[in-house]
Amino acid sequence: MKTITIDPITRLEGHGKISIFLNEHGDVENAYLQIPELRGFEKFSEGRRAEDMPQITSRICGVCPVAHHFAATKALDAAFHVDPPVAAKKLRELLYCGYIIYDHILHFYFLGGPDFVVGPEAPPAKRNILGVIEKAGIDVAKEVIKHRAYGQKITAILGGKATHPVCGLPGGVSKGLSKDEIKEIKDMVVSCNKFAKFTLNLFDDIVLKNKSYVDLIRSDPYTLKVYNMGLVDKHNKVNFYEGMIRVTDQKANELEKFDAKNYTKHIAERVEEWSYMKYPYLKTIGWQGLTDGKDSGMYRVGPLGRLNASEGMTTPQAEKEYTRMFDTLGGKPVNSTLAFHWARLIELLYVTERAKELIEDADITSAHIRNPVGTPGEGIGVVEAARGTLIHHYHVDKNGLIEKANMIVATTNNAGAITMSVRDAAKGVIKKGHVTDGLLNKVEMAFRAYDPCFGCATHTLPGGLPITVNIYDHQKKLWRTFSQP
Amino acid sequence: MKTIVLGVGNPILQDDGVGIHVIEALHQQLNTQKVTLETASTGGLNLLDLIRGYEKVILVDAIKQDNGEPGEVKRFSLSDFQSVHSCNPHDVSLLEALHLAEQLGEKHLPSKIILIGITVNTSYEFGEGLSRKVASAIPAAVAMVLEELKNT
Repeated sequence: MKTITIDPITRLEGHGKISIFLNEHGDVENAYLQIPELRGFEKFSEGRRAEDMPQITSRICGVCPVAHHFAATKALDAAFHVDPPVAAKKLRELLYCGYIIYDHILHFYFLGGPDFVVGPEAPPAKRNILGVIEKAGIDVAKEVIKHRAYGQKITAILGGKATHPVCGLPGGVSKGLSKDEIKEIKDMVVSCNKFAKFTLNLFDDIVLKNKSYVDLIRSDPYTLKVYNMGLVDKHNKVNFYEGMIRVTDQKANELEKFDAKNYTKHIAERVEEWSYMKYPYLKTIGWQGLTDGKDSGMYRVGPLGRLNASEGMTTPQAEKEYTRMFDTLGGKPVNSTLAFHWARLIELLYVTERAKELIEDADITSAHIRNPVGTPGEGIGVVEAARGTLIHHYHVDKNGLIEKANMIVATTNNAGAITMSVRDAAKGVIKKGHVTDGLLNKVEMAFRAYDPCFGCATHTLPGGLPITVNIYDHQKKLWRTFSQP
Repeated sequence: MKTIVLGVGNPILQDDGVGIHVIEALHQQLNTQKVTLETASTGGLNLLDLIRGYEKVILVDAIKQDNGEPGEVKRFSLSDFQSVHSCNPHDVSLLEALHLAEQLGEKHLPSKIILIGITVNTSYEFGEGLSRKVASAIPAAVAMVLEELKNT
């Protein structure tokens, strides 16, 4: 058996490693994703003050501090038996919109988008934001930077601090909004809405009007027929901040809908011996290994998972785009992994509209932003992180200290799907021991679509390393090594 | 010269957070009126936001080297790295961010960026403390920052 190792992944320098195993004919037999997981969080949390969890957990991931902050805050609401006032919920959701704005913009223009804007065959050195500037022009880049910064600014105003908010408390938030701040946020939100529309047009022009890209999106190697999961409101519309977890099947019918507090009844985790990763699966369906189809409990979360698992968006512009995506790509569910990019932009449009609704809502000016907490106990909180469903689960003792903590992060929810997508993409480009040009990037494209976060809490230098590929023969001996310049 | 000393790292990931410990030690030894001391658990574009407007930047960070001994302290210039801080998979490196800012005609970029690196073994286990070797490197790193500040 030959093995090709891609290590690490360009632009995903969180120490991810992909190993591709070939059979004796030189075709892909299996591909696995291996990542070192950060360990010891449960132990680290024990005995800490419960109200510190939103600050602590926002540091466990360099990518989604805001999502962790609010999953933790909501778990504390539940643990302290308190329902926050309406104004507090809306302030939290508004802050959350700011986070999705900067996160989704960053992914499209800096990480996932370059594959399309610059092209999947372009050299790695070009497939980045600088390549995007070359293609789309300097003025577009200025808008990208400006609106990403707006998203950050919105979270900083509401959260008290950029990147790592400090506003979430059990029962509410610590800070309201002044009139000036409301005006400032509104102006930024209006501008972000225009930019979201511009970005969807750009996606149309560059991707959807290019037949080869559409063919690539719809091709078999980038198709995965798993269940879909996401938070929905009571009308089954996408909601990032609250609702029920809905799971739909391969025909877009509802399989189940449950309160996050019952997650252990619906989601189980499987550990495979060759990987550090836990693979969650749906208990209702059961574990059939890393395979798709209706008999396998594999599912995916994140932008495409959310759109597939819902029945639409609550805002008019995003709803229109939602319908257009499903019409264009052959109905619901869309199983094309690369459609994650389109789904992400539809969500970007949605959060700009939703943020405008919230900032114009009279409730948001209320000074009543916190309710008193009750006696502590067990609490579970859920939010939709940019990259998918995120659950925090705490046991708090009578002194308000953490006894036990557990989390299921978005990338863990997607672990099975990512592994399968990588394998299938590899199958599409490695045939009979022949490694096609652009192979590595095509495999990575499958991976990048999910916008995963691995080992991303480390900030140790130098971080990036050139890509290295090891190919082993059928006896697992190193056959060839490739490195990208 | 308007200067910022920026300690980068994750305070709950053991030795990864050494840059933050160095800034804490500097607070006790430095008249902070003239120099800004700051910490950050972030990378790329967010770091760019923090250093914009300063002429000189001294980054203090944990560093992983193939032949390095944990606790070794070294001075680097930015050009010694091909990529700085893209450990975070959802961000660009500081170098990329700086190139981008230059291309966009940004006017307030630092003219000098120095890095004081403390060699660590990457830890994947949560914890607030530092290993013995890395903790004992803090005085040397502080001295190196102070020396660097003399030249500003």
